[in-house]
Amino acid sequence: MSLLELEHVGKCYGPLGEHVVLRDVSLQIEPGEMVAVWGMRRSGRSTLLRVAAGIERPDTGAVRFEQHDLSAREGERLGDGIGYCRRTFAPSEGRRVVDHLLVGLLARGVPLKLAATRAREALERAEIGHCATLRPAELDCAEAVRAAIARALAFAPRLLLIDEPTIGVDLLARDAILRLLLSLSQQGIAVLASTGESPGLSGARALTLSEGELHGRPARDLATVVPLRQSA
Amino acid sequence: MAEKRPKRNASPMQSAVHWALLGLVIERPSYGYELAQRFEHAYAGMLQLSGISYVYTALDTLQCRRMIEEIPGTRTGRQPKPRYRATTEGVRSYQQRLIVQMREDFRRSRLFARQLAVLAQEPEMALDVIEHYGQECLAEAGDTPLPALRGDCEDAATGLAARLVSEERRLAIESRLPWIDYARREFRALAAGRIQAR
Repeated sequence: MSLLELEHVGKCYGPLGEHVVLRDVSLQIEPGEMVAVWGMRRSGRSTLLRVAAGIERPDTGAVRFEQHDLSAREGERLGDGIGYCRRTFAPSEGRRVVDHLLVGLLARGVPLKLAATRAREALERAEIGHCATLRPAELDCAEAVRAAIARALAFAPRLLLIDEPTIGVDLLARDAILRLLLSLSQQGIAVLASTGESPGLSGARALTLSEGELHGRPARDLATVVPLRQSA
Repeated sequence: MAEKRPKRNASPMQSAVHWALLGLVIERPSYGYELAQRFEHAYAGMLQLSGISYVYTALDTLQCRRMIEEIPGTRTGRQPKPRYRATTEGVRSYQQRLIVQMREDFRRSRLFARQLAVLAQEPEMALDVIEHYGQECLAEAGDTPLPALRGDCEDAATGLAARLVSEERRLAIESRLPWIDYARREFRALAAGRIQAR
């Protein structure tokens, strides 16, 4: 049984649906698996992640997380098994990095003491405990990514979604972030990452998204699907 | 032991294994068996030795070409293990080889693109090739391990080699994926034109 399953997903934008972003996309992700999708700008990779998170509803097809249909829930499962890493830290959500983790937990009814423990643990797990009391604006790019990961980890997700984890990150800090994502997957958290840089594919089941079509192995245990040549 | 007779006007050394062994000697003077072990470790998945004895043949060749030399005083004991070090000529030749190899890599890429273009009349067939090329790149990308962090390696040279190899592989793929995307679009446009023309 797959943790996340996208089945023949289609997504269009524009008044007449003329801009096709996802075209018949099928993908299965197993628990503890690291999957990375490479695509050029405007290839649909961010949309793929939002659809996979249940934030956006697909126009066609189905998205299931632990067998539950996400299409009708519009983000309801976020924080409940699915962690979506956002790199923006709205000032209204807190002053210090740790506040940004606390606010989400408190909003979900977690008691303050427990929330503080979970926030601290998540920051440590993302190897950014030393930045807890800094303001988000004081973080460098790599630290901001780790803080975003920590914020998602605070909810103990089984699936972590992250859009472009290494964009803007210094070359020498990049691999440490990829290593963190791989280690999270080895600890049992499935990771779905999008990337515009091929180094982001290291150690992952690598896929590409081109003109809305997903290329590569759609499931861990399946062979690559190579489209058949049209008959003349 | 008699000094190896240098080859005059010898043709350029072609064997990738010979060059790789020379590289290892440049990296650190070693004896034959040690070189075989270092070779297996350093070039796993890239180059293969036909057997350990091949190392001794290669060392002979490298000595004849004056690219390496035996370190005096290392051929001692009941089972002598002569150690070899690179000569200035060997280091210079190795550097030149790297430069030539770079040119060859670019030439191979151009050749592939040119040969693919031959299939302009059969765009669906070209799309098949592109699809397979894409899958190979993805497999290579996924299989490329993250190199060990600085300080995690047994020695600085091994760590540097691992990081450089990993980064080279990853950035080579980085340039190929957009090209594949581009080529796919080109041939899809040709295929669409063909279908319309029917």
